[in-house]
This record gives sequence, C-alpha cells and structure tokens, in this order.
Amino acid sequence: MKKFYSSVVLLAILYLYHIPSLQAQMPFDEIMMPKGEFCVAGIYEVSKWNQYWEGDYLRGNANIGTLTRQMLMPMVAMGLTKKINLIASLPYISTDASGGTQVGQSGIQDLSVSLKVDWLQHRVGTGRILFLTNTHISTPVGTYLSDYMPFSIGAGAPEIGMRGIAGYKLDNGLVFRMAAAYLWRGQTEIERAYYYQNGSVYSSFMNVPNALNIHGAIGYWTLDKRLRLEATYMSLNCLSGDDIRSYNRPQPTNKMEVSQVGIWTQYYIKADRGFGAIAYFNQTISGRNMGKAASLGLGLTYQFKAY
Amino acid sequence: MKKNIYNLLILIAGIAILQACLEETPRYYDFESYEFSSLDENGGNWKTILVSNPSEILLTAPDPINSAAYQAELGEVKNMNASLSSSERRAVEYWTSNPVVRWNEIALEMAAKYNLIPGPNADGTYTLPNPANPVGPPAFPFAHPPYTSRMLAYLSVAQYDGLVLAWHYKFQYNRLAPYRQDPSIRPAYPENGLPSYPSHGAVVAKVSKEILTLMFPLEANVLEKHYQEHLKSMLNAGINVSSDLDAGIHIGEEVVKLAKARAASDGMSKAQTPKPISDSIANAAFERFGWKWQNTETPQRPVGLTPLFGRVKMWHVPTVEEVRSPPPPAIGSPQFEADVKELEGFARHMTLDQRRIANWWEDGLGSYTPPGHWNKFAKLSIVKNKLNPLRSARVFAYMNTAIMDAGVACWDTKYYYHYPRPVETIKGFRTILGTPNFPAYTSGHSTFSAAGAEVLSFFFPENAQQFRLWAEEAAVSRIYGGIHYRFDATEGTKQGKLVGTYAVNKAKEDGAL
Repeated sequence: MKKFYSSVVLLAILYLYHIPSLQAQMPFDEIMMPKGEFCVAGIYEVSKWNQYWEGDYLRGNANIGTLTRQMLMPMVAMGLTKKINLIASLPYISTDASGGTQVGQSGIQDLSVSLKVDWLQHRVGTGRILFLTNTHISTPVGTYLSDYMPFSIGAGAPEIGMRGIAGYKLDNGLVFRMAAAYLWRGQTEIERAYYYQNGSVYSSFMNVPNALNIHGAIGYWTLDKRLRLEATYMSLNCLSGDDIRSYNRPQPTNKMEVSQVGIWTQYYIKADRGFGAIAYFNQTISGRNMGKAASLGLGLTYQFKAY
Repeated sequence: MKKNIYNLLILIAGIAILQACLEETPRYYDFESYEFSSLDENGGNWKTILVSNPSEILLTAPDPINSAAYQAELGEVKNMNASLSSSERRAVEYWTSNPVVRWNEIALEMAAKYNLIPGPNADGTYTLPNPANPVGPPAFPFAHPPYTSRMLAYLSVAQYDGLVLAWHYKFQYNRLAPYRQDPSIRPAYPENGLPSYPSHGAVVAKVSKEILTLMFPLEANVLEKHYQEHLKSMLNAGINVSSDLDAGIHIGEEVVKLAKARAASDGMSKAQTPKPISDSIANAAFERFGWKWQNTETPQRPVGLTPLFGRVKMWHVPTVEEVRSPPPPAIGSPQFEADVKELEGFARHMTLDQRRIANWWEDGLGSYTPPGHWNKFAKLSIVKNKLNPLRSARVFAYMNTAIMDAGVACWDTKYYYHYPRPVETIKGFRTILGTPNFPAYTSGHSTFSAAGAEVLSFFFPENAQQFRLWAEEAAVSRIYGGIHYRFDATEGTKQGKLVGTYAVNKAKEDGAL
C-alpha cells in the first residue's frame, strides 16, 4: 500500500508538472480567479439522517437513531494563472448516533487538491458559453478507519476525478451550469483480514467502487455581482459494488447512490475582494446504501491579491 | 490542443499504473497442489469420532482391472483427461489434490452469508429464522457463532470418519489410480501411491454437500453445483474412474445417515428457547447472584441468543458442569471496579494497535465467526505441512469438535451466571464494537479461540506459541472492543484451554500418531 500511495503522489507531481505550459472556488462551479488572487475559506456543515437505504429499501434503525455528521473544512483557492486555478481542502469530520451503544468517530479526513482549467469562453447571444475542467486527486490523511460504517468519516481510499463543467452565463446575471465527473477510486485498507462481498474475500483491502458525479445549477448574480443565488442538483452513482445486506452494517464496497437538491448562496461583502459568506442547504431525495441526509453548510471566505 | 491530449494520456496512463498497484482480493486460498507428506497406509484403522462401529459400513470389492467394465471406465477417463476445456482445467486446479480445504472454505462462505441477525418487524417484534420455512424472512439459518461451530463440527467429523473408511478400503482392495494403469493418462496433481478405490475426494464431496445442505437448506442448488463440478474434476484430473467415485459416494451416504441422526437429537433444536423459558433462566440467575443480563438493543430482543446451547450434546466432554467456569466477580466488587476502570481507560484512549486487534478479531455479524477464523489458521497449517486429505480432516475434526464443545461450555456458563455487559453496568458507556445478544461471562471469542489453539498446538507443535498468542490476542480484543471485562476474557481462555485438552486427549489415542 505504501507503494500505492507513493505512486499517487508521483502521479500528482507528474500531472502538475505537465500542466503549467497551457494557457476558483468550488471544484464543480464555473468561477475562476485571476492570477495571484487567493481565497481562503472555512466551511462548517452539519448533516443528519434518521433513515437510510439498505439496497433500495428505505428504513430506520433505532440502534442508530439519528446520525449526525459535522464537518469543519478549511479550503484555499488560488489563481495560478488567469486560466488555471488551484483548490485544496482538508476537512475534519465527526459523527455521532443518538441511538444504540456504539461510539461515533472523528478525525481529519481526506486531503483534496484540484486544478481547474478555463478552456473556453465564447460569446453566444446575450451571454457567454463556458467550458472548464477540474481534475482532482484526494487521499486519506490521518488514521481513520473506513470500516466503521455508518460511523466512519470517509471511504478511506485515494480518489482521482476528472470533471467537465459546461455553462451558459447571461449578461443579466443568470447562469446555467452542468458538471459531470468520473471518480476513480482505489482501495481502502481495513483491519479485518476477511470480509463478505457476494462471497468470501480473504483480504484486508476493499475496492471502493468508481463513481459518476453530476452537479447541476441554475444561478443568478445580483446586487452588483455581490450576491450569488443558486438552485442546485447533485448526484453520485457508484458504477459497481454490493448492497448492504439485511439489517447489516454498510461497508466501503457498497454501491452507493445519492441524489440531492439544494440551494446555495454566496455574498461578497465588498465586491469580489475581502470577506464573503456562504450558506447552503441540501436535501437527499433518493439513494441507495446511503443515509437520507439533509445538510446545512455555513462558510466564511476571504479573498485577496497575493502577487 | 496536442498538449492537452498529451496531458490526458498521462492521466490515463497514471490511472492504469495505480490500478496495477492494487492489492489482490482473493476469493479462496490459491495454492499449488502438493505431494502429500505421508500416505498413512494404516489410516483405515484410526479411531472414528462419529461412527461407533466402522466395520458395519461395507464396501464391495471393485471389478478387477482386466475386466471389460473397468477398461471401459479407464477409456472414458483417458478421453476426458486428454481433452480438457479451459473451464474444466480451471476446476481441476481449483479443487486441488486436497479438496477438504475447498469444502471447508465453502462452509465458511456460507457461514458468512447467513451470519445476519434478524432485524425487528415494523411493529417492534422479532421473527426468528425457522427451519420449517427457510426462505423467511428472516432466512434460515442465522449462522451465529454457536450455529457455525456446530455446522463445522458435523462437517469435519463426517469428512474425517468417511475418510478413515475410505482409507480402510483403499488399502484393502489396493486398486491403483488410472494414471498408474495407463501411462498415457496424465494426473493433474503430483503422483502419490494412494489406491483410488474408493475415491476419497468423492467421500469428501458427498458428505460435505449433504451436511452443508442440512445446515444451509437454501443453498442446496449451489452445493449441488459445487458437488458435480468436484466429482467431474476427479475424472478429468485422471485420478479416479467413475466406479471409484460411486464407491466414495456410497461411504459418504452411510456416514451422513449417522451424522444426521446425531444432529437431529443433539438438543440444538431446543437451544433457542421461547420467552418464558428464557425469563426463568434469567430469574434463576437473579435469585442466585442478584444480577441478570438484558438485551440492550432497540426494540429490545425478547430472548438472548440460544439460551440452551449449553445443553447441546458435546463431543469430548462427558458433562458440561465439569468445564463450567467459577463465579465471576460480583458487580461492585474491587475486581469488578478495577476491570471497569480499565474499560473506561480504553474508551478514553485507544492506541492504533489496540484498535487493530479489536477489529482483526471482531469476526462479528456478516463474517465467518471466530470458529471460521480458526478454520482459516488450520487450513494454512495444513497446506504448509502438506497434509493428505485424511490428516487434514483429522485436524479439522478435532479442532471443530473442540471449538463446538468450547461453545457449549461457554454458553452454559453465560446463561448460568447471566452476567450483564459493560454497556449495562457502566453509565453512558459506548463501544467501537457492537454488543452481542447474550450475557458477558465468559467471553465466547476467548473460549472458542483457546480451544482451537490447544488443538492446533497439538497437531502443529512447531507453531504452538503462535496459536496460543493468537488465542490471547482474540481474548483481549474483546476488552479493547468494550464488550467484555478482563475477567470474561481470562476465564474464557482458561475454559477453552480446558475443553481443548479433552479433544487432544482423544486425538492422542486414536491410533494416528
């Protein structure tokens, strides 16, 4: 596994090395920052569920009650060039169940680094057509155990994602955006030497299924581009994996699927520099092998010119 | 644009490199068929465990090798052996020259598949798995540790006794393997001097299929498929002709009859009691000691797991009372308080090593259970020491009967003392492992593991220290997991070790040394 991580790092270096000779904010939106611009952010999110999908059967479990997951995520974004932005984040997560006798988990989750590239801006009608890509790589840091599901704080596996973001931004402030990503996920090391996944597996590694991740949004910029309002949609679909077995606990090999609708607001106190605030709310509307969660996030951003 | 394509190619190549670095996730133990370290020509005289009078199971003499019937069978095998399809070749490689290992793995897989505790109904009641309606829901069985220990004991004993009989007739009739009769037949496995009539593989296939179908009725079709594939693989491998298989199947059938008769009357059907009996057991303990264990799930389960498993017929221990553990420390006593303090300390701060031990030994719901874990150790030692199928079955048989006896002893102790779990006695206590649905004292993991270690140490003395260390680690893992006090683990280990010696003493006198 050490070999594996060092190749992840090597790959990241290789990839970063090759990109700069080419001609931000969230990895899935259309926003870019000019060269030398920096944004630091802290986001707090709380999400709760008291029902989950066991396969496609939605159920409660009084031995979990309500599962609360809290996240504190520092984030930085910077404009490497006008066309290339870098975003990095490292969340701290804790979980707690209101029912049962099992203890929640907490710790630092996955370090994620992504590069957003602005490929195309083309005037069409009364707006611009945009196309961007976001390539990210993330890897667990710290010692959390992915196998404590549903209490565990993450899937415990490295991930590489390639996302295409297309948008149409009208001059009147309306934005239509669609992003689709393929997430390649590696293995998570667990502490059991045997587990069941449609049959015996004699290994302490679990294959975390690859997934397709879609984001969609209809946004509106107003108040001199200081307020951004969005109605959002997000889905994540694992492309393989098994179902949670009857009244059994989930495990990282599960075929997880989720779709959410939400709202997103972002307010820059003074134009696009200095302090800003973020608030969002997401509601899970369908899923498989996941909790039916509602989550609320609040964040503070600070943007400045570094060079 | 060229540059972009170049970048994309690098990314794709990178993902391919990462994919190549992934660890394997094997579904079975991949080992090369080996030459047996001994043939045990006198194995037919070893003492059987289940079959009280082996001379009553008769096998008629085979046709002579120069008979037309045998020559036709030989011709059939010759043809099959010469033209294997790739799937047939894979099956031959999969089953190996020691199919006892494969049937054991199949048993563990089924244990893991069925080791699911029934959830509550919408109205808060629970329905128990019912052998009369195996489809359920919930499906039958719930292959919890006592169930799995018993399943493995019957499987291994039937395999062992069947192989003792097979060895007896092999060396009585001395019909050599097809590849010795016709040099153009190429055996798929290293050659050995074992006579092939009756086929030992067919004995193993037959008893394993039947015992596992009895234990996992919903898996009948899957087991039949394994069985047919295994039988055919022996013809394809050039190690048996069809009359060898038929003779093995006949012996298997006879042994299965005896195993089924014992299983029908060993008391297991009464182990999961109705609530009034369960309540009276709890109240008896409360009157004796002033405490009683209660299920802590929501909604509360009305009956603990198999309260009368302690009354199930043992294999090597005459009466369960002679291996019952002494009374646990009273709640509130200094030793109790000290052990509670230790648990609170682990809950406040657990090292990564302690966490790893708790999880490595968890063997909880959805897994092959602690008996399964010890079967995996036995398997690795069997292959490492190149044991023949008869000796392999002997290891599994004594270990699994000892482990089941340990389970019976432990369950007797559990429901006699009815000792509460840490989540009941320590206010607000939370654990990393789920608390099981039965009393704490003594720890099942500790008892199963110490019995398994004791038997494996006898068979593989060069690794005795490792087995005993593992048993200690299994015991202490439950303390780290927050679901057992140290005295549960310590006394459980003692109990398992004691029960294990009964099996070892039998094995010492079975004529195999």
